[in-house]
Amino acid sequence: MKVILRIQRYNPEKDTEPYYQEFTLEAGDDKVRILDLLHEAKWKYDGTLTFRRSCAHGVCGSDGIRINGRNRLACSTLLRDVNYRKPIVIEPLPSTAIIKDLVVDMSDFYKKYEAVKPYLVNNSPPPEHERLQSNEDAEKLFESAKCILCACCTTSCPSSWSDQNYIGPAALLKAYRFAFDTRDDAGDERLDVVDTPDGAWRCHTIFNCVEACPKEINITWHISQLKKRLAQREM
Amino acid sequence: MAYQPKPPAGWIKTNFTYYKHSGSWAWILHRITGLGLTAYIYVHIYALTSLTQGPKAFDDEMKLFSTPVFKVLEWLLFSLVLYHAFNGVRIVLVDWANGARYHKKILTVVYGLGVILFIGMGILMFSAHGSSIVASTK
Ligand code: SF4
Ligand code: SF4
Ligand code: FES
Repeated sequence: MKVILRIQRYNPEKDTEPYYQEFTLEAGDDKVRILDLLHEAKWKYDGTLTFRRSCAHGVCGSDGIRINGRNRLACSTLLRDVNYRKPIVIEPLPSTAIIKDLVVDMSDFYKKYEAVKPYLVNNSPPPEHERLQSNEDAEKLFESAKCILCACCTTSCPSSWSDQNYIGPAALLKAYRFAFDTRDDAGDERLDVVDTPDGAWRCHTIFNCVEACPKEINITWHISQLKKRLAQREM
Repeated sequence: MAYQPKPPAGWIKTNFTYYKHSGSWAWILHRITGLGLTAYIYVHIYALTSLTQGPKAFDDEMKLFSTPVFKVLEWLLFSLVLYHAFNGVRIVLVDWANGARYHKKILTVVYGLGVILFIGMGILMFSAHGSSIVASTK
């Protein structure tokens, strides 16, 4: 069966504006992944087509793109997940600087991620073995720890689009991941970072991030837990 | 050079073109009804200025407001209040009561209750019996 990919292109050396190019491709069945089709377009038709991918199995988080208007991983989206009777529109993650074709500049995303100190801070001397935690305490972190940093959430968030300084759902999720870790000692520092108008309070509970997350993390729930803790701190 | 979508044109376009689910519509409706109610407050305050022009001016205005056109407008205004209030409760539940896990179900309740009360208010306002109840409370 034939499908058409309508891909947004941009070559910084030649173009002043992005434009769309259509590729007509052969797909065996509807279980083909969008990533396979991108490969076919690149390998068979135009070697200059540029996109990121590494693991091809939804683990590395490098191939977040916008497919038919919504952010998803190319490697985790099958043809049957989208309407392929019309040309499938492939664009880079929205409201980010485009380096080339589908490759976007992630520096701002990582900068905000680093701002919440995405690592365990523990001031007591290291124990002989690992730092233990009860099963219940660990379970509170499991969902948030599934994040693969694909940026599908942050770049799908209307608050992020309109406020360049908003720290964004991915960084907030990470703040939860460590602020709610019973072994961590930097909870307050992290909460200070997110307790600003550009932090947790910029989240207007639109749930775009939740719809976009390929790991099915309910990011908004985690942000709501942060908001609650921030309010409790004031009492 | 990397291509940077220009704000605000960039994000306005993104807002229009990005995929929308029930949560995004809930947010968009909340904004629109919020703006509508804010605009209404100004109209309301302006309308009340007729009070300073004596009882006749005020009564004339009230007569205008009981014409069918204004009644329909009032009924529509009530729909804005209903949605903004109920969705406001939904947002509070999302932020403070684990509602983020059930936000779509809560939204169904918001729409359901809203439609029922809207129709109920319509019956009250437009049926002969209903208007007499409304009149008697005035
Ligand atoms: S729920 Fe919050 S963080 Fe997620 S998309 Fe909406 S505003 Fe952004
Ligand atoms: S929370 Fe989900 S969408 Fe956001 S970066 Fe992590 S895996 Fe990607
Ligand atoms: S290529 Fe690694 S997540 Fe898709």
